[in-house]
Amino acid sequence: MYHLSRRTVLQQLSWATMGFLLACNSNTSKSDRPVRVGAMYLLTGGFATYGEFARDGINLALAEINQAGGINGKSLEVIFEDESEPVQKARRLVLQEKVDFLLGIDSSGNGEALVPTIPELERILMVTHAASPKVTGELCNRFVFRCSINSPQNSAAGAEIAATEGYQKWTTIGPDYAFGRQSWEFFQKALQERKEGVKFLTKTAFPKLGTQDYNSFITTLQNSGAEAIWCSLWGNDLINFIRQANSFGLFQQFPVFMELGAAMEVLTALGEQMPVGQWVGTRYWWQTPDTEVNRNFVSRFRQKYQTYPSYNAQNAYVGLKLLAQAANLAGTIETKAVIQALAGLEYEAPMGKLVLRPSDHQAIANVTWGKTAASADYNFRILEPIVVLEGDSITRSSTETDCKL
Amino acid sequence: MLENQNRHTSNSAFLNLQIVMSTLLIFFLNGLTNGMLLFLIAAGLTIIFGVMGILNFAHGSLYMLGAYLSYSLVVQGKLNFWLALAIAPLIVALVGGILEILFLRRIYKQDVSFQLLLTFAFVLIINDSVRLFWGSAPLTTPLPQILQTSIAILDRTYPVYNLFIIVVAFLVGMGLWLFLSRTRWGKILRAAAQERTMLGVLGINVPRLFTVVFILSAWLGGIAGVLAAPLRTLSLELADQIIIESFIVAIIGGLGSLPGSLLAALTIGQINSFGILIAPAAQVAFPYILMAITLLFRPQGLFHRE
Repeated sequence: MYHLSRRTVLQQLSWATMGFLLACNSNTSKSDRPVRVGAMYLLTGGFATYGEFARDGINLALAEINQAGGINGKSLEVIFEDESEPVQKARRLVLQEKVDFLLGIDSSGNGEALVPTIPELERILMVTHAASPKVTGELCNRFVFRCSINSPQNSAAGAEIAATEGYQKWTTIGPDYAFGRQSWEFFQKALQERKEGVKFLTKTAFPKLGTQDYNSFITTLQNSGAEAIWCSLWGNDLINFIRQANSFGLFQQFPVFMELGAAMEVLTALGEQMPVGQWVGTRYWWQTPDTEVNRNFVSRFRQKYQTYPSYNAQNAYVGLKLLAQAANLAGTIETKAVIQALAGLEYEAPMGKLVLRPSDHQAIANVTWGKTAASADYNFRILEPIVVLEGDSITRSSTETDCKL
Repeated sequence: MLENQNRHTSNSAFLNLQIVMSTLLIFFLNGLTNGMLLFLIAAGLTIIFGVMGILNFAHGSLYMLGAYLSYSLVVQGKLNFWLALAIAPLIVALVGGILEILFLRRIYKQDVSFQLLLTFAFVLIINDSVRLFWGSAPLTTPLPQILQTSIAILDRTYPVYNLFIIVVAFLVGMGLWLFLSRTRWGKILRAAAQERTMLGVLGINVPRLFTVVFILSAWLGGIAGVLAAPLRTLSLELADQIIIESFIVAIIGGLGSLPGSLLAALTIGQINSFGILIAPAAQVAFPYILMAITLLFRPQGLFHRE
């Protein structure tokens, strides 16, 4: 008689279970499994407000995509992850969570760390915020796209506005890390190309990121002898600077061009403390362009979250939409095919028409600047007049960006 | 003609001198504002250490709580700034008292690492609670109405609110000093700093004393928070930014020494301010260099008596 020991039974059972699991696994990964996107943003700490806006934008896009039939008939899902230690997090998302695409990155430092490691993961990374020129410059690779405005584009847009004003002598205040330094460098270059005889002072102010007390930096600016100030401070630092500069009357003495002054989180926090009549820029402004796509986006966003979309919300929204559209165009989620669909893709975003340039995968789109103005209808400053700068004229040519795909 | 020109050059020399003087004076006042605010925060830190021997990492978080509470009172509750200055620090003091009675009290006899871990846990808990209640978007509170002006200093203007901070911090510092040196409670506190066991033997209720000290320190942190709120953005970074600088002040001054903290805070304030004028590129490092030098040559701090 066949002898059944406990060991044999267990052995057989475990083989059977394993086989069953394997079968299930291959089943789900090949056919029924939803398409997965891993989204990495600053979701904790002092900058969490950026990550939260991005998450809101993504959740709105996610609902719209699934309502419209998902990706190639499959539903889409997004897994959120804090972007600290970006390389490990991206690996975890791809290897453990089996995500098909990566999306996100707020900090330029995290972006520069992550981008070179993306090819080994063989997934597309759609960058939606980090503005470092290196992401689509010397660090670029064919797996990485950026659907948001980068730092040189922002600086050039500001320079285009600055060139129309009469100021000759410029100084700057900006955060003391790569972004603040690059912003000033690109601004100088862009303004020199557009206007003759401008001078850039060596007396500048570079407070470290997260500085609380700007008093002495403001005194330095007041003593600099400049006619106008280029300001690349952003977020909490910009809010601190503006309030303390108000106390010193800086805005009565100098025009201050604030590269990221029209960011919604800054305008909302400041309310009436934001001085009027100053030029401010952003990477998306909800009032422009006046298109149906934008109006719909703003109204749906407000309906869902009771607030106006910040640039980070729009960028993240667009990032997920682009991935979905490209995968639908390609008819597959296979990385190589989607890369081909994304390169050169033209897309009608809330921020206006956007093209992902094939040579470096950088988005080219129009940028909005405007002068801060009071309005009885809003409890924050709005932009009036608004100036829209052409994407082509503020983007460096692909020969200048050191990107070799 | 020549005479005229002479008078002109001496006039402009005088003007230049005036500009230099006013610039220096403004940098000095900036440093003083910075230093006095730092002193208010470091004072609470140093008193706890002096009496209880506890390094309270959560002190910056109590300061942040004070600032956020003043936002709730002033912006959401529509109270005026002065009421907020009275109420918010009391609430922070209450929170401090609860933390001491429920948690800290249980670990005084344990190794010092337990205290560090516990107060660090407070940091995480308070910071996340702030995020839960007030959200992570930056918030601001307005300057109090009557302090919204500035005064003329030579050819410049200076915000009155900065001067107000200097005066209030000075008054609080004086009050603390009088309290510690002239009152019975102050004597008991100083005695506790010297010899805790003997104090217990003499019939002083040491656990209650510790609770009172912790409440006092939290109250100071709360005051600093309310005072800083009209100048600094309320965000989740508020605590992290201040705690490191306050520790530098407390270490340079000598942990536990109030006059030491004052001197160190004023020095750091001036270094921060004039550093921007003289060596902007290296300015961030100066407080750390000063701390390193202090630790090398006088590790117990400037004013610490053994």
